Amino acid sequence: MISIRRFKIQPVHLWIGFLLVVLAIGAVAYGIVLIKGLSVTNLTDLVPWGLWITIDLSAIALSAGAFLLCAVVYLLGLKRYEPVARTATFIGLIGYSMAILTLLLDIGRPDRFWHALVYWNTHSLLWEVSMCLTLYLCVLALETGPIIGRTQWMRDRFPWISEKLMSIHHFAPILALIGLGLSMLHQSSLGATYGVLKARPIWYKPGLSVLFMFSAMVGGPALTVLVTKVSGRLSSRANIDESLLEPITRFIGWGLVGYIYFRFWDALSMSYTYEPGRSEALNLLTRGPLAFNFLVGEMLLGAIIPAILLLVPRFRKSWIAQVIALALIVGGVVAFRWDVNMAGLLVILTYLPQEINTIYTTYFPSMIEILSGIGVVAYGVLAITLGIRYLNLIDHRQEEEAHKQEVIVAATD
Amino acid sequence: MEKKPVQRRDFLKALAFGSAVFGGIRLVRSTSASERGEASPYRWGMVIDQSKCTGCGNCTLACRAHNDVSPEISWNRVLEAAEVGDKPVFLPRPCMHCENAPCVDACMVGASYHRSDGIVMMDYDKCIGCRYCEVACPYGGRAFNWVEFTGPNPAVPEWGQPEVPRRPRGVVEKCSFCYHRIDRGLKLGLKPGVDADATPACVVACPMGARMFGDLNDPASEVSKVLKQHPYFQLREDLGTSPRVFYLPPDEEVTA
Repeated sequence: MISIRRFKIQPVHLWIGFLLVVLAIGAVAYGIVLIKGLSVTNLTDLVPWGLWITIDLSAIALSAGAFLLCAVVYLLGLKRYEPVARTATFIGLIGYSMAILTLLLDIGRPDRFWHALVYWNTHSLLWEVSMCLTLYLCVLALETGPIIGRTQWMRDRFPWISEKLMSIHHFAPILALIGLGLSMLHQSSLGATYGVLKARPIWYKPGLSVLFMFSAMVGGPALTVLVTKVSGRLSSRANIDESLLEPITRFIGWGLVGYIYFRFWDALSMSYTYEPGRSEALNLLTRGPLAFNFLVGEMLLGAIIPAILLLVPRFRKSWIAQVIALALIVGGVVAFRWDVNMAGLLVILTYLPQEINTIYTTYFPSMIEILSGIGVVAYGVLAITLGIRYLNLIDHRQEEEAHKQEVIVAATD
Repeated sequence: MEKKPVQRRDFLKALAFGSAVFGGIRLVRSTSASERGEASPYRWGMVIDQSKCTGCGNCTLACRAHNDVSPEISWNRVLEAAEVGDKPVFLPRPCMHCENAPCVDACMVGASYHRSDGIVMMDYDKCIGCRYCEVACPYGGRAFNWVEFTGPNPAVPEWGQPEVPRRPRGVVEKCSFCYHRIDRGLKLGLKPGVDADATPACVVACPMGARMFGDLNDPASEVSKVLKQHPYFQLREDLGTSPRVFYLPPDEEVTA
């Protein structure tokens, strides 16, 4: 007997449909890049890194909610944040997989991606980055295991696998500790990837690794809370407890203040005395083509306004103000990554003797770069949407109950 | 209570699996392609005399032919550096083969590496094309293969015959001090820097004799002698990269 159910189109179906279309377009662009190579990009030998590296760095930074919240729950013992940590972990896993997708796109020989794991140059910051990326992706996958194991569907269909997956939960504190180490190392070594290069004076400073980690620690939780809050309004499958999110948003607000403080002294110290290359790059940021992005996108909209919105009590009560603030922070982190990469690459410091001479170059991503980049982002948004819909990702209700149940299941195996 | 042995077994299983993976990686790495060779008595270096260089670009063309480089890429660029009086001064720029090479530190897979004679090598079978070395190099000495170089090389045969294989699309390439000419020459008992067949193609091709090549460890070599007698400079000495390409200024007073 075939039963025909009436299928009613809901807004979420349209949303998923839209994402699938974007994903399909992105996949075609992705395929074109793999077949035709990087000549379809606007990257050059002068600007070898562009839009994709920004997406990669941003995806990693915005995944930082996972390690922070897992550390809060399992290392500081604040168990009530566990449901938020679950959301953050899943977002982290998706973010890291997005990073890998973009990196595969960005390297000239994607067929040799495994060289990064087999041939080691331990002096290279990128070696450290690829090790952290791989290992932390494993940690995130393990941490996500119980989320998948706990779904009703898994329990009904594959009780044995479900049980095994849920038993990983016992190792949550160890995973949180390893994750904390790997993730912090990863975030800061991405900054150091730029920060150790003496050839690019605007990057060459120890502060870059600190700033990368600081902005990630603000941006990661911001994305987690943003996704949670928006889903709470839009989806009947998300059950949220605002009082749980309140302290996190306040932490994000104060984190932003700290971040602004660091950025201020960083920018101020760079503005003193003329340093070839560095001063020109700073000019790009404050007066040149990156000025709007830096001053308005990164500083005003990306840091100062959200800090006000999150910390002034009057705005804290407003849902829309909070959502706007969190979205601005996420945008600010992306703008920061873009500006760092561009400020270093757009200035070409000549090596001719007796002549301090800098020239500027330009870069704007090609259509294929944009489409494939958007495709990767669509994949991430789609994965998170489906996660919320089918993995009970955002559920602040019967957490205690579910937790107890898990312990019982685990104890009887 | 009864969970414990299971956990231990799982732990041991994980440990065994982990060490197998680790051992496997070590094994693959130990049998990997690039040979770094034994300690070398040589330390190759190049001297370029700016007072003799006329900017003709023969070196670039010879380099393209002998190393089968695409016309879109120059391993050896000739730049107009300045004007002294009303005469232009040129600055040919091969790879500097730095003693403290930023690219060698940057390369995550070790595709850029030092040979024991000081040459900064590229292992084109290892390179994954991440282009971090391009970002790290202060001299713009590296070029990425954005497209595959197919078809005839316009510099061949006028400027020489290819002596090394073409690089595939998607890897970074650069000047190698014509290591293959050095190695083959030494095997035949020739002296790099003295015998043309054992000397980098750009040095041989220079009609003005503006380039010298030889062993910096050998005090009797031409390069050692010239560097002892003349004032010289290296590019961006302030960075501490210690290039093995030395320049004799066009007018000795300029850098004095």
